[in-house]
Parts: sequence; structure tokens; C-alpha cells
Amino acid sequence: MAKQVGREQQGITLRGSAEIVAEFFSYGINSILYQRGIYPPETFTRVQKYGLTLLITTDPELKNYLNNVVEQMKEWLYKCIVQRLVVVISSIENNEVLERWQFDIECDKTAKDENEPREKSQKVIQDEIRSVIRQITATVTFLPLLETACAFDLLIYTDKDLAVPEKWEESGPQFIANSEEVRLRSFTTTIHKVNSTVAYKIPSH
Amino acid sequence: MDDFENNTTVFSALRSLNNFISLEGVSGPPTPGSSRSALQIQYQQRVQMEEQAGQIHSKSQLLQVEREKMQMELSHKRARIELEKAANTNARNYEREADRNRELLTRIKQYQERETEAENKLKEQMEMNKSYKKSMETMSKKLQEKESKLAEANETITVLKGKISELQWSKMNQEMQMTSQDSQKQELMEQLDVQHKKWQEACQQIQMLQANQSHLAEYEQKIKDLEQKLSQQEHDALIVKNMKTELARLPKMERELRQLKEENAYFREMKENNGLLKEEVEGLQRKLERYEKVQAQLAAVELENEVSSWECLVGEQGRGFLCCLTPDDLSRQIVALQQRELVLKEQNSTITSSARILEKARVQLQEDIIRIQSQLLEEKKKREQHEALVRRLQKRVLLLTKERDGMRAILESYDSELTPSEHSPQLNRRMREAEDMVQKLHAHNTELEVIKKHHALNPGVKCLRPVRLDCLMSVINFPFFSRQKIEELEAERSKLEEQNRSLEMKLEKLTVQGDYDPSKTKVLHFSMNPASLAMQQRKEEHQQLQEAYERLKETVRVLEGGGSIPENLEGLGSLQSSQEIAELKKQVESAELKNQRLKEVFQTKIQEFRKVCYTLTGYQIDITTENQYRLTSIYAEHQGDCLLFKASSSSSRKMQLLENEFSRTIRELIELHLLRQDSIPAFLSALTLDLFSRQTIA
Repeated sequence: MAKQVGREQQGITLRGSAEIVAEFFSYGINSILYQRGIYPPETFTRVQKYGLTLLITTDPELKNYLNNVVEQMKEWLYKCIVQRLVVVISSIENNEVLERWQFDIECDKTAKDENEPREKSQKVIQDEIRSVIRQITATVTFLPLLETACAFDLLIYTDKDLAVPEKWEESGPQFIANSEEVRLRSFTTTIHKVNSTVAYKIPSH
Repeated sequence: MDDFENNTTVFSALRSLNNFISLEGVSGPPTPGSSRSALQIQYQQRVQMEEQAGQIHSKSQLLQVEREKMQMELSHKRARIELEKAANTNARNYEREADRNRELLTRIKQYQERETEAENKLKEQMEMNKSYKKSMETMSKKLQEKESKLAEANETITVLKGKISELQWSKMNQEMQMTSQDSQKQELMEQLDVQHKKWQEACQQIQMLQANQSHLAEYEQKIKDLEQKLSQQEHDALIVKNMKTELARLPKMERELRQLKEENAYFREMKENNGLLKEEVEGLQRKLERYEKVQAQLAAVELENEVSSWECLVGEQGRGFLCCLTPDDLSRQIVALQQRELVLKEQNSTITSSARILEKARVQLQEDIIRIQSQLLEEKKKREQHEALVRRLQKRVLLLTKERDGMRAILESYDSELTPSEHSPQLNRRMREAEDMVQKLHAHNTELEVIKKHHALNPGVKCLRPVRLDCLMSVINFPFFSRQKIEELEAERSKLEEQNRSLEMKLEKLTVQGDYDPSKTKVLHFSMNPASLAMQQRKEEHQQLQEAYERLKETVRVLEGGGSIPENLEGLGSLQSSQEIAELKKQVESAELKNQRLKEVFQTKIQEFRKVCYTLTGYQIDITTENQYRLTSIYAEHQGDCLLFKASSSSSRKMQLLENEFSRTIRELIELHLLRQDSIPAFLSALTLDLFSRQTIA
């Protein structure tokens, strides 16, 4: 298949870039869920990816949900109509938002019309993604502890004129009232650029 | 018929034709043979035609006949078919009828067979009946025999019962005697026991007394022994006291002994040492003498050596000095040397003092140097600062000149906008005018101030000022109008720039926090997301907990009130105790239900039995008190006519009739049946017969 050259060493196509970014989100969200203790650690299993040992969930409901969202993201990334993906971590008791992991996506729309894949080494992209995921793991040191039981939600910022697919609905942005933001590293596939930020609620004491 | 008609028409036509021909024949010979031939031809034609017509008619007849025949055949066929069908149906019906007949015949046969069987059975049963009747007769005979036997047996039973009652009476008497004897025996036994106890107590007391006596004897002996011991002990105590004092001295003695021993040892050592020392001393004294001798020799030798050395020295120094061989000269030289030494020391001291002074001066100079260096540095810094200031000022001057140039350019541009004609000379002129104005203003200011001072002293001239000021201001304002506007615009621009910067910062912060432009983006999320699922679960748990809580509250309230837990709460009981309680309650309820049922059953049975007794025996038996029974007859004349029986004891069957008003009326019966015959059932039955007879008669 000529279009699926994302895996080859030769270049990055739009579809390949969408796949890479969607894959990053899948592993990144799993890492966040494990690090922040949203789900019990025994429900996670180890896999090798990007040269790291990452933990992904084995809970079938959660897997199904993540697959649905990531598949939809892949489509939207291919059409270049998604602007942001946010992982919102909120407390179950009072529905208060405690953390927001925000991934801004800048898409180069000229890649839609190009036929030639772009020159960027797969290895370089993997290194960049690896550094982002390492940073996500390292943020645990300064993020405040999540004392109460928490649940997470995935918000996607898209263009206004997009047709809302089945099973999806519009939602609010779920800001944090009094927050501290930290910018993390970014990575780019020359077609999509992903900037990562984490915002957390400033502890009251 | 048609054929006949046709035939008649044909015949009539033929006849007419023949007639015509005859006529023609009659009229005839003058006509030419051609007409005859024509007529003949016509006739022949007509005949042919008639023949054809006849043929056709016959054909048609034939056809019709054939049609009719066909129809007939069809009808025949139909009829045949129908007949066949009918025949079939008839056959079938016949067959059915035949089958039915057969069936009926078979049934008839069966019924006949059954009839025969029934008849046989009947016969058999008749025979059986007969046999049964015979057996019944035999049985009845046997019954009668048995009844007679029963009656005999009953008589024997009654006789035996009488005997039994006598025996029981005697037994009771004997039992009473037994009980009385038992009681006597028990009393005697008790007395015996008491006596026995007393005897035992007496024995015990005797034993105790004996033991006490023996103890007393022992104690007396012990006392004696103790007295002896006491005396001995007193003696011993005295001895002990003496010993104690001596013993008290013992340690001191021992200490003294030790000390003495030590001193002895020490003295012995000392003595030995003294001996040794004395020997040493003697040896040393001898050595001393020897050494003194040696020393004297040595001193002499040393003197000689010194002299020789001095002489050598003198000999050496004699080269430098003038003939100084004598010791006086040496001493003088020594003195001179010492003086020189003193002098040198003085010089040394002076030099050291001067050195110290110089050092102090050096230290002070160093400090001065440091101070000067620091001052130098400060001065350098100041100079640098000044240079920096100078540079800044130069830059500012440059900026100001640039601004001025810029303003001038703006002014020129504004002026160019306002008036398209020559700009710069106008502007320059205006600038010069403005500068002249400024100078004039300054001069005017000073004049005004002077005038003001003068006016302060003498108020007078006023009118000049405002006019000049007004005209001046109007002249000044025009070129400065644009400058003010420029300044205002510049200020606005800077404010706007600051606002822009702050807004950009805010926007960046908000984008990082997650803000978005609602006109361009929208936020989507999955409907079945984990957060909403968790919230739903939490709500459900919350509701369940609330419901459980409310139910528990109700049970607590009910329990505190002391009532039983209603059944709808039992269903919740997850605790084991509540389950047990529920089970126990169920058991209790079932037991109660059983009890109630049993009671009802007993009551109904009892009532039934009593009714049956009443109807069969004619007496209603009531229990009034313990062991007392009241019998009321069914044929009693008055309501209160009753007999009272008392059972002598609960176990015995002996009943006693109690005297009451009714019993007095039936004294004869009582005498006869109870006293003579001693039978209560006979008495009762006689009474019923009597009452019945009275009733029927009355």
C-alpha cells in the first residue's frame, strides 16, 4: 500500500503521521493513568515501545473506550480538523477538576495536497516521543498528590463545523479554577506538531 | 316439425312450380322452346337449388340431429356421470352403512357378550350373596353367642370390679396404715438421727477433751523445757555479751596486727636497704676520696692546660696586638673586649629601635597606599559612571534630536496634508515665529513679573495683558495644536501597545489553561466516558446507601419503641442476628398457629364429644370444681335439677353423690341403686327412665 509508508524509513505521509500521533496519544494516556493512579496499578501490563517499558491497561472497558477515542482521533488527524486533546482528571466526589493534560496539535494542511512523503527519520521522531513520555513520568515529582478517588475524561477540541459523530457529544472545556501550568516538550512529525502542557490545581495549603 | 314445414314448403314450391310449368305448358306452344328450355333450365336450377336446399336442410337437420344427438350424448354422459357419481356415493354410503352395520353388529355382539357376562356375574354374585347371607347368619349366631359371652364376661367384670374396689379399699387402708407407720418410722428415725448426732458430738467432744489434755501435758513439758532453755539462754546471753565485746575488739586487733605486720615488713626492708645503702655509702665515700684526689689532679692539669691555651691564644693574638703575654694584659684585653661588646650591644639596641620605627613607618605607608588605591578605584568608578551618564545623555540627545527631526517630519507631513502648497518654508517660518513667540513670551513674562511687582506696590495698569495674551495664545496654539494631538496619539498608542501586550499575555495564559475561541472550535467528548460513568456509579451507591440508611433508621425507631419489626424490613436483614431473629419469629409464629389450630381442634372435638355424650347418655356432665361433677338430665323437670358427684381422689374411680335438693326427691332410687346395688350407671339410667316416664306422662 503506497500510502502507508509511515512505517518505512523513507518518509512521513499524512496518514503515517496521523497514525504516529494517535499511537503516541494511546500510550501517553495510558502512562498518565498509571502515573496518577487513576486505576489500580495491578490492572496495567508492560509493553516495549519507543525503546521504553510502558504500562498499558488490561481493563477491557477502558481499553474499548480508549480505542474508540484513538481511532476517531486518527481520522480527524488525517483530515487535520483536530486542534487539541485534553485529559481531564477530576475528583469523583465533588466533580472538581484537579489536573488537565493538554496536547495542542498544529497540523500542516498543505500536506493533504502533497504526494511526496516528507523527510524525517522515524528514529528521530521516536526519540522525541520518548523524551516527552519520560517527561510525563518525571512530572510525578512535582505534581500534587491526588488524595481522593478520581476519574478521567478525554476532551477533543475540533473545528466548529465538524459533524458530531454518534456516541459523541459537546462538552464544556472543564477549566481548573486556580491553576499552575507547566509546559513540557513537544515533538513533530513535520506534518503534525504536538505541544504538551500540564495544568494542576494549586494546593490550598 | 320444421322439416315437415320445410318439406311442405318445398312441396308447395314444387307444386307451385309444377303449376307454373303446367300453366306454362298450357299456355305453351307458341312460346319458343328457348323459353321452355330457359324455364326448364330455371326449373332445373330451381330443382337443383331445391335439392341443394333440401340437402342443406337435410344436412342441417342432420347437423341438428347430430347436435341433438351430441347433446343427448352429453346429457347422457352427464347423466351417466351423475348416475355414476350417485352410484359411487350410493356405493360408498352403502359401504358405510355396511361398515356401520358391521360395527353395530359387532357392538351388539359385544353387548350380548357383556350381557351374558353380566348375567354370569349376577349369578355369581347372587350365589355369593347367598353364601354371604349364610355366613352372616352364622356370624350373627356367633355374635349372639359372643354377646352372651360378653354379657357373662361383663357380669364377671362387674363382680371382679367390686372385688377390685374392695381390694383397693383395703389397699388404701393398708396404705394409710403404711403411711402412718412410715411417718412414725420417719419420726423415730429422725429422733434416732438426732440421738446419733448427739452421741457423735459427745464422742467428738470427749476426743477433743482428751486431745486437749494431751496437748496440755505437752505444753507443760514444753514450758518446762522452755524455762530451762531460757535460763540457759540468759547465761549464754551474758557470755555472748562478753564475747561480743571481745569480738568487737577483734577487728581492731586484726587491723593493728596487719599494720604491725606491714610495718615490720617495711622496717625489715628498710633495714636491708639501710644495710645496702650503708655499704654503698661506704663505697661511694671511698670513690669520693679517690675522685677528690683525681679532681685535685684534674684541676691542676686543667689549670696547666688553660695556661697553655691562654698562652697559645695570646701567642696567636699577640700578632695582632702589641706584646700582651701577661694575664693582666689578657684581663685588660678581656675588659676592653667586654666594653666593646657593651658598645656593640648598645648600637644593636639602637639599630633595632630604628628598625622598628622604620617598620612602623612602612606599615603606615602601606596603609596610605591602600587608601589611595581605593580612592583611585572610586574615582575611576565615578569617572566611568560619569562617562556612562555622558554616553546616555549623548544617546538621549541623539534620540531627542531624532525625535525632533521626526516631529519636524510629522509636522511637515501634517502641514503637507493640511496645505498642499509649499511646506518647509512655511514650517520653518512657523518654527521661527514660534521660537520668536517663545522668546517674546519669556520677555513678556519677565516684564509681567516686573509689572506685577510694581502693581503689588501700586495697582494701576491692567488692560494690556489679556489682549496680548489672547493674541499670543491664538498664534501659539495653531502650530502647537498638531503637536498636542501628536502627543496624545503617541500616549494612546503606548497605552494601546501595553494593553495589547497584556492581552496577549492573558491570551497565552488562557490558551495554556485550555481556553478556546467558541466561534472556531468546539469541545467534544465521548458520551460514555469514565468520569461520567464513575459519577453515575457514585450516585447509585449514594442512593442505595441513603435507602439503606433510611430503612435502618426506621428499624431503630421501631426497636426503640418496642414494637416488632414489620415484615418488609425483614427482607433487608443482611446481618446474621436479624436473620436469626426473623427465623425465630417465623418459628414462633408457626408454633403459635399450630397451638391455635390444636386448640380449635380440641375445642371442636370436646364440644362434639360432649354433645354426643349428652345425646346418647342423656346427661350433661360439667366440671364445677376440682373433682366435682354436675350432671344435668335431658329430661330434667326444672332448670336447676342436677346431681353432684365428687371423686374421692383423682386416681380412684369411686364417686360419691353429694346431697342436694334434687337428690332428696329421688331418695328411693338412691337407696336402691347406689346403696344396695352400688352401681352409678344403673342409678343414672333408672333416673332417666323415671324422668322420661314423668315427662311423657306429663
